[in-house]
Amino acid sequence: MEAMFRIAGLEKAFGPIRVLSDVDLELRAGEVTVLMGANGAGKSTLVKVISGVHARDRGTMHLSGEPFDPASPAEAIRAGVVTVHQNINDGVVAALDVATNLTMDRLTGKGAPLLFNPRRVRREARAVADRLGLQVNLSASISELSLADRQMVAIARAMAHEPKVMILDEPTSSLSSAEANRLFAVVERLREHGVAILYISHRMSDIRRIADRIVALRDGVIAGVFADKPLDYEGAVDAMLGRAMDLSTVSVKDATRTVFEAKGLRIASQTRPFSLALGDGEVVAITGLVGVGKTALAETLFGVRRPLGGTMTLEGREYRPRSPADAIEGGVFLVAKDRAESGIVADFNLYKNVSLPFLRRLARLGVSQPRAERAIARRQIEELGIVCRGERDRMQTLSGGNQQKVMVARWTSQPSSLLILDEPFQGVDIAARRDIAAKLRAGAAGRATLLFLTELDEALETADRILVMSEHTIVGEHRNAGLDMDRLLAQVAGEDIRGAA
Amino acid sequence: MADTVIRYGFLALLAALIVFFAFAAPGFASPQSAVFIFQSVAITGILALGVTATLVVGGFDLSIGSVATSAMMAAAYAMVVLEQNALVAVLFCLAIGALVGLVNGIIIVYMRVPDLLATLGMMFLLVGLQRIPTEGRSIATGMTMPDGSTATGTFSPNFLALGRHRLDFFIDNLLPVSVVVLLVLAVLIWFFLEFTRFGRMMYAVGSNEKAAELAGTPVKAYKIWAYVISGVFASIGGILLAARLGRGDIASGNNLLLDSVAAALIGFAVLGAAKPNAFGTAIGALFVGVLLQGLTMMNAPYYTQDFVKGAVLVVALVFTFALSNRAR
Amino acid sequence: MSITRRTFSALGLAAATGIFALPALAQDRPAPFDNAADVQIALVRYLSTGDFFQAYLAGVESQAKALGVDLRVLDSRQDAALQADMVDQAIALGVDGIIIQHGLTESMKEAAQRAVDAGIKVVAFDVNVENEAIPQIEQSDRDLARLALEQAIEDNGEAWKAAYVYVAGIAPLDRRDETWREFKERYSGIEEVAMFGTLDNPIANSVANQARSVLTANPGIQVVFAPYDEFAKGVKIAVDEAGLSSDIKIYSADISTADISAMREPGSAWVATAATNPAVVGQVSVRALAMMLAGEEPGASVIVPPTLITQAELNDSDIKNMEELSAKMPQFNHADVAMPAWMPNPNE
Repeated sequence: MEAMFRIAGLEKAFGPIRVLSDVDLELRAGEVTVLMGANGAGKSTLVKVISGVHARDRGTMHLSGEPFDPASPAEAIRAGVVTVHQNINDGVVAALDVATNLTMDRLTGKGAPLLFNPRRVRREARAVADRLGLQVNLSASISELSLADRQMVAIARAMAHEPKVMILDEPTSSLSSAEANRLFAVVERLREHGVAILYISHRMSDIRRIADRIVALRDGVIAGVFADKPLDYEGAVDAMLGRAMDLSTVSVKDATRTVFEAKGLRIASQTRPFSLALGDGEVVAITGLVGVGKTALAETLFGVRRPLGGTMTLEGREYRPRSPADAIEGGVFLVAKDRAESGIVADFNLYKNVSLPFLRRLARLGVSQPRAERAIARRQIEELGIVCRGERDRMQTLSGGNQQKVMVARWTSQPSSLLILDEPFQGVDIAARRDIAAKLRAGAAGRATLLFLTELDEALETADRILVMSEHTIVGEHRNAGLDMDRLLAQVAGEDIRGAA
Repeated sequence: MADTVIRYGFLALLAALIVFFAFAAPGFASPQSAVFIFQSVAITGILALGVTATLVVGGFDLSIGSVATSAMMAAAYAMVVLEQNALVAVLFCLAIGALVGLVNGIIIVYMRVPDLLATLGMMFLLVGLQRIPTEGRSIATGMTMPDGSTATGTFSPNFLALGRHRLDFFIDNLLPVSVVVLLVLAVLIWFFLEFTRFGRMMYAVGSNEKAAELAGTPVKAYKIWAYVISGVFASIGGILLAARLGRGDIASGNNLLLDSVAAALIGFAVLGAAKPNAFGTAIGALFVGVLLQGLTMMNAPYYTQDFVKGAVLVVALVFTFALSNRAR
Repeated sequence: MSITRRTFSALGLAAATGIFALPALAQDRPAPFDNAADVQIALVRYLSTGDFFQAYLAGVESQAKALGVDLRVLDSRQDAALQADMVDQAIALGVDGIIIQHGLTESMKEAAQRAVDAGIKVVAFDVNVENEAIPQIEQSDRDLARLALEQAIEDNGEAWKAAYVYVAGIAPLDRRDETWREFKERYSGIEEVAMFGTLDNPIANSVANQARSVLTANPGIQVVFAPYDEFAKGVKIAVDEAGLSSDIKIYSADISTADISAMREPGSAWVATAATNPAVVGQVSVRALAMMLAGEEPGASVIVPPTLITQAELNDSDIKNMEELSAKMPQFNHADVAMPAWMPNPNE
């Protein structure tokens, strides 16, 4: 079958960082091609190049055999390549009614009639809605609709352009499973209409449901194309997450004494409770796809949110943190995900960032002791090899890797019982990542260390034990020595839920 | 070079201004004149120091002007109508300030009303509330109450001394109490914000609330405290105002609000801080005071003074945002 | 100039009051006041908050009560459009007379005309509705300034250094300013060394700050003319703070209870103020309207004469508030304006 849309040798770099290299991709009419990739693999950049937001650096794109070279999103849409973005509210105008939303692009396009004719708008909107079998009150305001209905309207609106290629960027990420089913029905309709669909998702259940082909993207390169039925889902996950061949860096240690234990813990409604035990001196990684509840678990352990059920004990005592302050007091520290948003205080210099959680301990009669704070910061700079001019550097002057080191330095500047790191290697170069991992392992004695990592590589490189999370529960446990990779991947892909119980 | 301009530009401007007025306006360069500049900015300066606390936690308090005038009315009411002594009047005002701040904080933190809107509402509420006990009349000894009786209380001499007494400082009768209060509060809040862990955490809350929360800072409590500080400072301003005027005047306090916010914002530019800070606020208030004093001495009409005030604020904001961003 | 002005106002006064007669009883009053309970009048207000307006209303009420008429008060609270609507509302109520108290010429002109067309008698206080059928009740700002300045000349002679507090663009202050200019022309010995002023609230506080600067920059000021009591209060604070109370005299306009206590403070520099009693203005408004209802002519403009109040008088009579001022200074308590023989005096 001839491809409706073909990309060959595509490359894209932002400054010195190459995001996409030599990407080949084919989309066929009436087929759903699923694009899988971890965070930072280059999925969104690829989508933006196709939809005309970014210009490519090298390579060719063809649509129905014709060269396709959009200078703007509007041009891409006119040519027949339409994108429905992840953020639903970007696709609809909440203040207007459904009919106007469905026909809006015609109202604003060239040659649009000067006068607004409500009856004609209603008639055209009805036609657009019927094509997708959309059951929505056309005169309802968007703000009255559920998220799923808004998503349908956004897709229907995109369909009004009679597209040849439609890109759906994580369309189910904010939908319930019933709502997702309605979305899949719409996708079926699109497929019947002969649209070539590029479907981006992390959710294995979605992918199983609708994929005709799977393309895995990893570090800006196509890591695998799976088209043969039945589709090899595990192979796709494997290709997407990658696998470190060199496991010799980790000499696995086994814990002697249990530091932290959770029993019957539930962190989301309608999920299976799970238990968790972490020992002194061991480094445990919890891995799993995006959205399976890793951050929710981290936040539960750190007192940001309450568990729905179950008990936790820390150092033999009941542990029920009501706030991060409680958790810190009890010796549980969290290096939070996304340091710019939830870690770094941009107005503070390096040493003030390090001392922030421990001011109560460091201050005397409420008066802060900058001399002591600076001494600690200098020690940590030395310890972690932070590249900077001094402890009074502004955070903005540091590289991403060094900023992350400061965050780790903050939470290792005082002894802890349980140190949690949520995606500590995000936006960190490989050298810094190795540094941080080595320091974590070297300083692991006397505490339990728990990492949450989407990238399997990172887990294999740093952990003694690897736990797998899926659907807000823990589905597998592996000692990081001669582990059964196939089984692990199957658990990540969500196939082994019952087996692991 | 650019760094030096950003750090010391505003202080240099202030020094240049003082030198200019010393030559252009006779009588400007005298100890009395210097003290008077402090006195003229004492009330707005105190309010500005309070609003700085809310700016530090990333908030804003539009109600300070009306808190001050409400405190003024409350002081007058306590002494003239309820015939209480100075101490009771002062405590009454401080309690009102703390209560308003607490309510502001709770509305903003727990009801999630945006700070500008919450304190705007509080501003209107207080402008109306201060009129209710006297049905819109100003309060002075001998005033007729709504029920037809005559208020017989008087402003206590001790209370009036807060606005009128002068301490000896090298020269006899030089330093008014209000200036001493301003200086003490300025030093206190400066020390609090810069050198205590509470101040540090407040800055953390203002810079990155989520990070502060995840570092164990009780963010909500700090935000509420900031509004309480702001309310209490505003009520101190109101006490000094009542002591100076010797009566309770109906007033919205909007000009007090605008002048003190201007002082706090000008403070961003001082020493290139590019953030709210107590030292900058004090300098900002002083800057406005020097300008107004000098211009008045040179017989400039009031509208040119508003113009100049606005111009200074614009320049200060340009200093803060354009120059300091470029240096980054 | 001042003599002609005085003569004129005296003439107006005589014309307005007509021939004096003995106090009359209700049954002697002309129609419709022989049956006053059936007479309904409306007060349509634009400004209402503050001591002045409170006292004005009290005056209107007392005169209406003395006449025995039914008074309706419609308060638009500074909403010009609402005020015009309220005039229409009063027309619909079928009132016999309307007092328009303040407002904007633009919004009130047509509403007032509609009332006149409906056969309703209308008087206006402090707002020009550009209608010949509607008499203007005025407090004379020029006379206020004149009385205060004449006192200043009497106290200090014809040559002194003065500071003047003024903000342009406020109608009563502009009228007071005209008189100040005339005085400066007439008495070449008056030297205005500084002019300042602001309406930033609290006004007294802002003016005090300015006055401090002015007093420092201009030593030797003898007189401050502050023709608005908030200005005077601010200047007094500055004079006290500068320790110049015995060297400077303040002359002002307007009065309130708080002003009385400020003037009576020991050694106060605030020596005199000229004021019209707002309650009297309210009474005169009702009386002028009543004359029209009785078919008499109050004149195109009814001017309520101000009274000079000096610190010495306040001290001599031990006056502490507005009520005592009214009681102890009869000329402040009552003006023989719009007083035909049959008109009841509300103060008796």
